[in-house]
Amino acid sequence: VRAVIAEDSVLLREGVVRVLADAGIEVVGAHETADDLLRDVRSRTPDIAIVDIRLPPTHSDEGMRAALAIRADHPGVGVLVLSQYVEVGLAMTLLAESVEGAGYLLKDRISDVKEFVGAVERVACGGSAIDPIIVSTLLSKRRGEGPLDGLTPRERAVLELMVEGRSNQGIADRLVITLRSVEKYVSSIFDKLGLPSGGTESRRVLAVLLYLRS
Amino acid sequence: VAASVFPLEATQPVRVPKHAAIWTIGLAGCAVGAISLTLALTNGGIGAELGEPLVIALLSVWITIAYVFGGLIAWTRRPASRFGLLMIIAGFLMFVVTLSWSENDVAYTVGQAFDVVVPVVFLHVFLAFPSGRLRGRFERLLVTLGYATAIVLELVRMSLGGFGPHNLLELTESAGAAEIVRHVQLVTVSVISLCGVGVLAVRRRRSGRPLRRASALLVDAFGLGLIMIAVLLVSATFEGPWVAQVRWATFITIGLAPLAFVLGLLRARLAQSAVGGLLVDLRDETAPAHLRDALARALRDSSLELAFWLPEFGTYADLDGRAVRLPEPGDERMVTLIERNGARIAAIAHDPSLQDESELLEAVTAGAGIALENAQLHAEQRAHLEELRGSRARIVDAGRRERQRLERNLHDGAQQRLIALSLELSLLEEKLVNDAEATARLAAARRQIGASLEELREVARGLHPAVVSGHGLAVALEQLAANAVVPVRLSVSIGPRLPEALEVAAFYLVSEGLANLGKHAAASWATVAVTRTATGVVVEVVDDGVGGADESRGSGLRGLADRVEALGGRLRVWSPAGKGTRLRAEMPCAP
Repeated sequence: VRAVIAEDSVLLREGVVRVLADAGIEVVGAHETADDLLRDVRSRTPDIAIVDIRLPPTHSDEGMRAALAIRADHPGVGVLVLSQYVEVGLAMTLLAESVEGAGYLLKDRISDVKEFVGAVERVACGGSAIDPIIVSTLLSKRRGEGPLDGLTPRERAVLELMVEGRSNQGIADRLVITLRSVEKYVSSIFDKLGLPSGGTESRRVLAVLLYLRS
Repeated sequence: VAASVFPLEATQPVRVPKHAAIWTIGLAGCAVGAISLTLALTNGGIGAELGEPLVIALLSVWITIAYVFGGLIAWTRRPASRFGLLMIIAGFLMFVVTLSWSENDVAYTVGQAFDVVVPVVFLHVFLAFPSGRLRGRFERLLVTLGYATAIVLELVRMSLGGFGPHNLLELTESAGAAEIVRHVQLVTVSVISLCGVGVLAVRRRRSGRPLRRASALLVDAFGLGLIMIAVLLVSATFEGPWVAQVRWATFITIGLAPLAFVLGLLRARLAQSAVGGLLVDLRDETAPAHLRDALARALRDSSLELAFWLPEFGTYADLDGRAVRLPEPGDERMVTLIERNGARIAAIAHDPSLQDESELLEAVTAGAGIALENAQLHAEQRAHLEELRGSRARIVDAGRRERQRLERNLHDGAQQRLIALSLELSLLEEKLVNDAEATARLAAARRQIGASLEELREVARGLHPAVVSGHGLAVALEQLAANAVVPVRLSVSIGPRLPEALEVAAFYLVSEGLANLGKHAAASWATVAVTRTATGVVVEVVDDGVGGADESRGSGLRGLADRVEALGGRLRVWSPAGKGTRLRAEMPCAP
C-alpha cells in the first residue's frame, strides 16, 4: 500500500509516517499543504491520501476541498480525512455519493495504532472507515423512531461496526463470533430497517447511512 | 450659478442706507419726475395735444419714478444686494433720456445721446436680478457691448445730422450714412437683447430644478420683456408691422417690471406671516421629522435640506444622526448656518434666491429655534445610539475574533500535542508488550488523554464553531441537529455563504435553542429553519415542549439577544406555557 499525507502539524505528520512505515505501508509523500498533496496524488498515484481537514493557508476548508477533489478526479485513490471535530455534516459531504474508498476519522484515532492502520488499509483497498462517534451520533439521531428501536443489542453492535466500514469478517473478529452469525445478524438488521440486503458491503453501508441521515 | 456659503453669523457688515440718503434719492426722484413731466407738457411735439406721444411720455415718467422708488425699497429691504442701487440708476438714466424733450440745446444733446441706452439698461437690470451683479464674463461682455453700441453709435449718428436745431454734435449732414448707422445700432442691441434671453433660459435650465415660484415668474417676465425690446427695435428699424402695438407692450412690461419686483419684495414681507404659519405647524406637529417640511413650506423652497450640527462628532448629520455633507462653495445650493445663544445648531441648504430674503430666513430660523434645538438633540441622541450600536457590534466582533484565535491555538497547540503524546504512549505500549502492568498503565494513561481531548474539543467548540467558518452554516447545523435530544427537522435555504459574523450568530442561536430544548422543554420534536429573505436572514427554532421560556431564565437567551442585536437584528421568543417555544431571530443582511 502506498500512501501520501497532508498534515500541517510536524509532530503528527512524523508520528503518522512512522506508524504507517512500521505497519509496512509505504509513505511516498508527506506534505504540509493541500496543493503539494494534490500534486503528489497526480504524479505518484498512491492507493490512499490521508488529509488533515484544516490545512494552511487559511485553515478553513482547504483539506476538505482537496479530499473532495481527489474523490472526484481520482476515483482509484482512497481518501481518509482526519479531523479534530466530530461533524456529521462533513462526513456526509464526503460520503454523499459513495462510501467506497473513503473515510472520516477523528484525529485521536491515530494513537490507536492497530485500528488506525486497519482503517488506512481498508480505505486504500476501496473500503470505508467512519468514526465510531459519527456512527453513534447518527444512530442516536433516529432514537425513539421505530425500526432502530426494534434491534437487539447484538444487532445494534453489528450495525455500528458495519457502518464504521468493517467487513463481515472484521465484525466477526471484533465481536468474537462466527462469520455465519454475522451474516445472519446483517440480514436480520436489513429486514428490520426495510432495506435491501444485496450488493457489496460498501453499498450496504451507504444504504444504511442514507437511511440514518434522512 | 456661483453659490457661496452664506453664513448668517458671519455676514459681512452690510451698510444699511442712511435715512438722509433715502430721502435725498426719493426727493431727487420726485424732482426729476416733475422735470420730465414739465418737459413733456411744454414740448411742442409731445404735449400739444392729448394723444399717444403724451401717454408714452407719461409712461416714461412713470418708469423713472417706479424704478427709483422700487430701487429704494429694494435697497432698504435688501441692503446686501446691489440690485436696488442698479434700479435707482436705471430710473435716473430714464430721466436723462427724457431730457431730449427739452428745448435747451445741452439738455437735448445729452438726452438724445442716451436715447438707445434704455433697452440696454433693462437688459442689465434683468440679468443682474436678484443679486445686482452680473454672473460671469459673457454677461459682462454682453452688457458692456450693449452700452457701447447704444452710446457710441448714437454719438456717431448725431454727428451725421438729421436731429434738428438743438443737436450740438452735428458735424455734417448725411442722411444715408445716419440711416445705416441706425440700422446697425438697433439690430445689434436687438441681438444683444436676444442673447440676454438666451442667458436667462440657460440659467434657468442649469439650476436643475425650478427656481422658487416668485423668482421664476419674474425671470420669465424679464425674458418676455427682452424679446419684446428686440422685436421693437428690429420692427422700428425696418418699419415692420405692429410697431405701435409692440411699443405699447414693451413700455408696459418695462413699466411693470419694478412693480413685479416690489410685489416680490412684499411677498417676502408677507411670507414673514409664513413664520406665523410655521409656529402653528410646529405647535401641531411636534415630531422633529416634520420640521424640515414646515421650514420648506415657510421658506417656499421644496428643495430645502436640513442638517444638524453635532459638536461632539464635529460633523453635520441628518435627523437619524447619520453624517451628511453640506453643499460647498461652487455648488448650486447655498447654506445658511443657524445659531442659538451663540452655539451652532443646524444648517439649511437652500435655493440661492433665498439669500435675497435674509430677514425671512432669519425670522423663520428664529421662529423654529426651539424646534430646531430639539431636533438637534434628537439627531445627537440618534448619533450616540448609532455609535453605541456600532461599538457593541465591534465588541461582539472583537470577542468573536479573540475566541476564534483561542480556538485556533487550542486546535494547533494543546490538542495536537495530546494526540502526539497519546500516539507516543501507544508505540511505547507495543514495545512493552511483555510487561502486563506497564501496558495496563499506559493504556489507562491513553484513556485519560482521550478524555482530556474530549473535554478540550468541547471547550474549543464552545469558543468558536470552526466548522461554521470553514464549511458554512448548513454543514455545521447538521451536527447540532444530530446531537439534539429529540428528532430535529432541519431546513437551511440561504444560498451561498453569509457573512461569517451572521453565520456564527445563527449557529449559536440554534445551538442554544436546541440545548435549552434538552434542559427544559421536554419536547418530542423540534424544527430548525434558516431562511434568506430579501433583506436579511431569519433563524427559527421551534419545539413542542412545555414552553414558559423567557430571557430572564438564563443568560443564554440574553446573550443571544445581544449577539443578534449587535448585528442590527432582533430576537423574539414566544413561549406560552404548555404551547412549546419559538425562537425567531431576524438579522439584516445585504442581498
